[in-house]
Amino acid sequence: MLLRSLRADFLKISRKGIWLLVIGAPLGVVLMMALNWGLRYNYLTHQNQGHLWQSLLGDIGALVPISLYLGCTLVSSLVSNVEHQTSAWKQLLALPISRKRVFLSKFLLCTLLLLLSCFTLSIGSLILGLLLDFGTAVPVGQVAILGLFPYLSALPLLALQLWLSIVYQNQAIPVTLGISVSFISLGASRLPEWFILNWPSLSLNSEYKLPFIIAGIITALIVLFISRQHFNRKDIA
Amino acid sequence: MSNLIIKTTNLTKTYGKTNVVDHLNLTMKQGDIYGFLGPNGAGKTTTIRMLLGLIKPSKGNIEILGKNLVKHKLEILRNTGSLVEYPSYYGHLTATQNLEAIRLILNVSKSRIDEVLSIVGLTKEANRPVKGFSLGMKQRLGIAASLLGQPKLLILDEPTNGLDPMGIHEIRELIKELPKKYGITILISSHLLSEVEQMANVVGIISKGKMVFQNTLEELKKQSISEMKFVVSESEDALWLARDLGFVGTLQNNVLSFSHMQDDQVARLVTHLVEHRHQIYRVEQARQSLEDIFMDLVGKENL
Repeated sequence: MLLRSLRADFLKISRKGIWLLVIGAPLGVVLMMALNWGLRYNYLTHQNQGHLWQSLLGDIGALVPISLYLGCTLVSSLVSNVEHQTSAWKQLLALPISRKRVFLSKFLLCTLLLLLSCFTLSIGSLILGLLLDFGTAVPVGQVAILGLFPYLSALPLLALQLWLSIVYQNQAIPVTLGISVSFISLGASRLPEWFILNWPSLSLNSEYKLPFIIAGIITALIVLFISRQHFNRKDIA
Repeated sequence: MSNLIIKTTNLTKTYGKTNVVDHLNLTMKQGDIYGFLGPNGAGKTTTIRMLLGLIKPSKGNIEILGKNLVKHKLEILRNTGSLVEYPSYYGHLTATQNLEAIRLILNVSKSRIDEVLSIVGLTKEANRPVKGFSLGMKQRLGIAASLLGQPKLLILDEPTNGLDPMGIHEIRELIKELPKKYGITILISSHLLSEVEQMANVVGIISKGKMVFQNTLEELKKQSISEMKFVVSESEDALWLARDLGFVGTLQNNVLSFSHMQDDQVARLVTHLVEHRHQIYRVEQARQSLEDIFMDLVGKENL
């Protein structure tokens, strides 16, 4: 049942530009780095001699948290808007499927889309490094971490954004919040470790990465549970 | 199990302090086309949303297909097709894709999509994006979607709202066929009696959240008060003659009107007038139209 609902959700987002965003945004990040390193190739390779791969991945990693937050915001808003646009919720929820499944299916859709984004980023970074002739001693583990760890620790925000995007017909509310959060996260590095917006960057750069991922997943599950309960009881106008 | 398809008991929905739906007892039998009528804002859509489990009743109980809606919601929805107010659709998808998105959840065979498209006459438009459809076509797509799961019960909320006469006619013909061909019981809401009168056999009239009439259409027609109108040579005199026989009438523009007159009473009055050498030009029966009865029932203050 969940699988069929997910297939329906994938069908509904076709031709909506969501795929373009999901693939295009990480490629954009890689392209920015390509420009940075390409234009100042001699200077930067000289400066970072001996740890070229690490420097490149570090530069990309600095952009990952804010990109992820913007991604969470846009993906959940676009996915919900498919149903909001022509008030399709009333049709969808009058079908023989429980609301919890509907909600879970939307959440899974968003997580899969974002996962694809992060995967694209990892692959793109890998290709960029090879093109820049950084050698074949690729730090595979670090490339994988770049794609996966910040993603997992950003899941709480995805759950929150999806909840707001589904509850509010007016998408200005969740989108404004999401963009604000993205920019707040830029200046949040001075705040302590428990500050949730720091988790994606800590999961990349901290010495102990695992706690931030586990905390991210658990918090996301809690938010998901609460929002699903709320959606289950909500009156559909 | 009784043959009641829908049975609500004291169904109530309260917003703030007003009961938008107020202790509503709606009953609907198998095979009925039930016309659910009321002016805008009477609580029709709210009732229908409660029947579909989209909003929770504040009070009362709903049984559909003999089962409690709260306990057996998914099972009931599996056998119910619906179209709530203006059509829901995914504009960027084609008609076929729209139905596919619903079919996946209903888990019926793929061939149903072509079947329902042909029932509503959209086969030729199947592969066009729905955003280019006219309102009538979107509405027909909505009906196609509601038929996808081969429902036993169809709930249609104002399916002809906003359509031109041609579109209204098309939808009406489509709906009239469904019970005969597929044995579906239908609840159809509207704010126009004239529209439902040509499809429904049972009507429920709701006003300010309360059911003010629920019975067959024939029963509603019987409620209409008939008046006998007489046009005679000397009206004033005739009025007094009628009063001698015990008929109290009114005189307006030289037309005498009497309400509640039986056939033999009409005959007696005519004989009486002739005996007094009145010339009788016309005797006619004027019936209150259904629309008038409807107005009386929902109260003029609603307009």
